[in-house]
Amino acid sequence: MQRRNFIKSAGTAMTLPLLFNGMRLSAINQPSLFSEMNPDNDKVLVLIQLNGGNDGLNTLVPLDQYDTLVNLRSNVILPESSLLTVTDKIAFHPNMGSMKSLYEDGKLGMVQSVGYPNQNRSHFRSMDIWQSGSPADQSWTTGWLGRYFENDHPAFPEGYPNDTYADPFAITLGSVVSETCQGVGANFSMTLNDPFSLSPLAESGGTANTDTPYGKELDFLKTTIAQSNQYAANITTAAEKGNNMVEYPQSSLAEQLKNIALLVSGGLKTKVYIASIGGFDTHANQVEDGDTTVGDHASLLLNLSESMAAFQADLQALGIEERVLGITFSEFGRQIRSNFSLGTDHGTAAPLFIFGSCANSTILGDNPEITPDVQVQEGVPMQYDFRDVYGSVLQDWFELSESSIQSLLHADYQRLPIIQNCSLATSTDDPILEEVQLTAFPNPLRGQTTIQFSSRGGHIRLSIFNAMGSELEVLINKTLPKGDHQINWSAQRWPAGNYYYRLQEGPSQRTKRLILVN
Amino acid sequence: MNRRQTLASLFGQSTSTLQAPIETIQSGLEVYAGDWTYAQASHLLRRSTFGVPNDVIQESIAAGLNATIAALFGSKELPDPPINYDYAEDPNVAIGETWVNAAYIARGEVVGYRNRSFAAWQIKVLMEEVPSIREKMTLFWHNHFSIANVNDPKFVYQYITLLRTYSTGNFRQLIKDIIIEPAMLRFLNGNQNTVESPNENFGRELLELYTIGKGPQVGPGDYTNYTEQDVREVSRALTGWRDLGYLSPNENSEVRSFFRTLRHDTGDKTLSHRFNNSVISNAGEDEYKNMVDLIFQQAEVARFISRKLYRWFVYYHIDETVEANIIEPMAQMLIENDYNIAPVLQALLSSQHFYDALNMGPMIKNPMDFSIGLFRQNQVTIPGTVLQQYPFYLTLYSFIGTMDMNYFNPPSVAGWKAYYQEPGFYRIWINSSTLRPRMLLTDVFSTVGLRARNGEQMVIDIFEIVAALSNPIDPNVLITELADLYFPLGINEEQLSNLKEVLIPGLPDFEWTLEYNKYLENPNDEEIRISVEVKLRTLLRTMLTMPEFYLS
Repeated sequence: MQRRNFIKSAGTAMTLPLLFNGMRLSAINQPSLFSEMNPDNDKVLVLIQLNGGNDGLNTLVPLDQYDTLVNLRSNVILPESSLLTVTDKIAFHPNMGSMKSLYEDGKLGMVQSVGYPNQNRSHFRSMDIWQSGSPADQSWTTGWLGRYFENDHPAFPEGYPNDTYADPFAITLGSVVSETCQGVGANFSMTLNDPFSLSPLAESGGTANTDTPYGKELDFLKTTIAQSNQYAANITTAAEKGNNMVEYPQSSLAEQLKNIALLVSGGLKTKVYIASIGGFDTHANQVEDGDTTVGDHASLLLNLSESMAAFQADLQALGIEERVLGITFSEFGRQIRSNFSLGTDHGTAAPLFIFGSCANSTILGDNPEITPDVQVQEGVPMQYDFRDVYGSVLQDWFELSESSIQSLLHADYQRLPIIQNCSLATSTDDPILEEVQLTAFPNPLRGQTTIQFSSRGGHIRLSIFNAMGSELEVLINKTLPKGDHQINWSAQRWPAGNYYYRLQEGPSQRTKRLILVN
Repeated sequence: MNRRQTLASLFGQSTSTLQAPIETIQSGLEVYAGDWTYAQASHLLRRSTFGVPNDVIQESIAAGLNATIAALFGSKELPDPPINYDYAEDPNVAIGETWVNAAYIARGEVVGYRNRSFAAWQIKVLMEEVPSIREKMTLFWHNHFSIANVNDPKFVYQYITLLRTYSTGNFRQLIKDIIIEPAMLRFLNGNQNTVESPNENFGRELLELYTIGKGPQVGPGDYTNYTEQDVREVSRALTGWRDLGYLSPNENSEVRSFFRTLRHDTGDKTLSHRFNNSVISNAGEDEYKNMVDLIFQQAEVARFISRKLYRWFVYYHIDETVEANIIEPMAQMLIENDYNIAPVLQALLSSQHFYDALNMGPMIKNPMDFSIGLFRQNQVTIPGTVLQQYPFYLTLYSFIGTMDMNYFNPPSVAGWKAYYQEPGFYRIWINSSTLRPRMLLTDVFSTVGLRARNGEQMVIDIFEIVAALSNPIDPNVLITELADLYFPLGINEEQLSNLKEVLIPGLPDFEWTLEYNKYLENPNDEEIRISVEVKLRTLLRTMLTMPEFYLS
C-alpha cells in the first residue's frame, strides 16, 4: 500500500501531514511559531512568463472546432495536416514536438482556457492582475508569491538573510524583479543575470532618517546593496557546486532555465525562480504569408518547447526532477478572429502548461466552443480561474493550508488536480472529474432561458459572461444539495450576441455558449 | 526643533511651510518664496538637466530662480545630425557626413553602422547640451511614446527629432503629429490599419497610454475614461495611413507618411458615453485631428499628462493632497494654456511644492541620469576629434544598457517601469543585477577611466575636479563641497569623518593640507603627484559608490 493510500484510508488525509509538520523538531528553530512553511520541503517552483499574450488557439488547437476556425482565422490557422495530434480533440502547434513528448512521458499537463472574470485587455493591467492575483476590479500592490512568503516572514527584509534563510527566497532571471514576489516590505525576489559574475558591492555607512521620502529611498538603497552582497556569496557557491548535464538550445529562455537547473543542483535553497520570454504580442506577422507554420509565433513556441524539454532532461539527469515544478502564464489569450495583418489582437483566456515529473499529465477542461458567428473582438471565454492554479500549487507543492490560500488569493478557491505523484501535502487521490451535466434551453434564446445542471453536493457558482470575458451576472453562489437543479436567466437587459454560462463545482468547471437573439 | 524644522533650516527655507504634518506635503503650485541657495539651485538643475558642474550652480544662485528657469526654457538650435564615423563602405555617405537623408544599400551593415552612430550620437547630445530642460523632456516623451525595434534609424531619427522639437511645446499638436509619424505607424501597426481590416493596436494605446489614460474597470469593457467601443471607433478613425521609405535603397525616397483614401473607413464613428456619444464623421486625412480635438475636450487628458510630468520631475507618490494641490491646478493651467507644456512646467519647477524640503532628494536617478550626470557634474568631456569621440559615446551607451535603460529601446509600449509600476516605481531601477554595472561605471570613472571599443582610453583629471572647489586644501571643505555636488542633501558629521578616514586614514586634517600644498608647489614632481592622486581617486570612488549618489 502506498503511503498516500494509507493516509487516505485512515480518514485523516487533510490533517495528518500537517500535524507531522507541526511537530517537527526543526520547527522550533523557525522564526515564527505559526510558520506554515515546512522547512523540509525542498520543492522548487519555476514560472515561465510569456510576455505579450499567447495565442492559445494556435498553441493547443481544438480539433473539433477546426472547421469553424478555418473561416474565422483563415490567414493564421495552421494546416490540419501539420498539427501534432494528442487526442482526437486536441493537437499541438507543429513546432511543439518536444512538449508533446513531455506530455507522452507524463511530464506535462495542460489547463484549458485559464483566465479571470472581467478580462482586462491592457497588457499592463492584465499582467498586474496575473502577477498580483487580484480580482480584475481591484488593484493589489503585492504579488501572489510575495504574500505567500510574507505570511511566514512578515518582517522581511529586516533580519534577512539569516542562518536559517541564507538564500534568496526567489530569483528572477534578468534585470527587473518580478512583481509576483512583491511583498509589503520589499520584493522577495532578487535578480540574476549571470550566476558566475557576482562581485561584492560597496556598502557605505551612515543612517537614514526613514521619516522622510529621502530617508526612505536611501534606506531602500542601503538594504538592497547589503542584501545583494550577502546573497551573492551563496549563489556563487551554488553555481560552482552545481551542474548541467545536457545541451540547451541557444536562446535567452534556455539560458535562464539552464541557470535555474544549475543553482537548484548546486543546493541553493531558493523556492521560486521566474524566467520569461517576450514577443507574444502578435498583432502582425504572427505567421508568414503563405506558410502559417512559420513566423514569429512558430519561433516562440519552438523556443519554449525546446527549452522546456532541455530543462526537464537536465533535471532528470541531475536526479532532481521530483523537486521542480513549472508553470507557464501569459496576460491573456488572443481574439478568435484573426486580423488582416497576419496576426491576432488582445483576447481573453488561454491554455496554461504545468511541467515536471510531478505534474498531472492530463488535459484539464474542455475545448472552447466556437461557432461561425463569433463576434469581432471576441476572445476564448474562461473556464478556469488562474488563482485556482496558483492556489493548487501553493497547496500541493508548498503545503499551504486551504484557509491560508483563501485569504492570500480568493475566498472561492477551488483545488485543481494539476499536481500528482510526488505531492507531499494533501496526498489525496485526485478528485474524479466527472462530466458535469450542464444545459440551457432554449438556446439560442430570446428573452430568457433555463439552465439545468446536476450537482454532486457542494459549493456551486454559476455565472454569465459576455464575449469580452466580462462576468455579467452571478446566478448562483452557494452550497447546493446533491441532485438536479435549474435556474432561469433573464437576458432582457443585454444586447443580442454571444454569451457564455460557466458552472463551477469544486475542481470541475465547464463553460458553454449561449446565443441571444432579438 | 523638530525634524521638519531641521530640514528647513538646512536649506535656509522660510518657515511658511512648516505647519504641515510630517509626510503630507501641503504646499501647492504657488510661486516659491523662500531663499535661493545652493540647495534649491542644485535641486532645480539636477532635476531639469542631466547634471551640471559646480560653476553652473553658482551662476544660478547669483542669477536667481526666474533667470534660471528662463535659461532652461530658452530656445535653441537642434543638434547637428549623427554622422558616419567608422564605416567606409557606404557609397551614399562618406565618413564624417550624416546619413539621416541618405538611401540605404541592400546590405545589412549599413543599418548596423547607422544604428551604432545613432546610439552614440544620442549620448553625445546628452553630454554636450548646454544646461536646458530640452533633453529631460525629450526623454520624457520617448518614455511616453515608447517605440522600439523599428530597425530603421532614419525613421527613429525623424521620430526623436519630432519629440525634441516639441519638448515643451503643444501637447495636442504633438499627439496629432505622432499619430502619423512613420516610425509610430510601423511600431503599432497603424500602417496595417485599414477599413477592411482594422487593427486596434494604435487606437488602444492612444487612449490608454498617450492621452486620457485608463481608469478602473467599472463595467464590461468600460475603463472609466473610455470603453472598448471607443478603442474600436478611434481605431476606425485612424484607418488609411501608411509609412513610406522604410529601409529604402531608392535615392529619392524620403521618410514620410501618406493617406490612402480608399483604405479609410468613411462611416460615422460613434464614441461611448465617456465622450458624450460624440460622432466623428468622415473627414478623410484630417479626421484624426478632429478625433484628437474631441479627446482633448476631456479634462482627464490634462490630469493624466500632469501626473506623468509630476512623476518625472518631482516624486512618484501622488496622494490626495498632491492630487488636489498640484495635479488639478496643473491640469487647469494646461487647459487654460491650450495644452502648451512650457507654462505649466515652469510653474511646477518654480513652485513652493517643488522646493519643499520633503521633495528634495527622494528620486532614484535612472541609469541615463546617473551615468551622464557623472560626467557632466564633473565637467569631464570626451577627448579627441568627433570621429574619435563616437566610439566612447557608444561604449557609454552600452554601459547604460547594462543598467537596464537603452535609449531607443524601452522595454514596452508603456515605457520604463520605474515611471508607472506600483508600488516600486523608481526603486525598480535598483537590484542586484543593475547595481553592479552602476558601481562598475563609477569605479572605472574614478580610477582607470573609460575605455572605448576601439581601445582608446580616457582618464579623468582628478586635480581639475578638485581645483574647481572653493578651498580644497581643507579636507573638510574638499569633502563637503564634493558631497554637496554629488548628493542631494550633502552628508552628516559621521559621514564626513568616515570619508576623511578614506582620504587621510588616522591622520589629522593638517596632513592633507601639507600634502596637497606640496603638490601645488611641485606639480611636476611625479612622486608627490601620484601619492596625492591616489588619495583623491580613492575618496572619489568611495563617494560615488555611496547610495546618496543614486538619489536626486
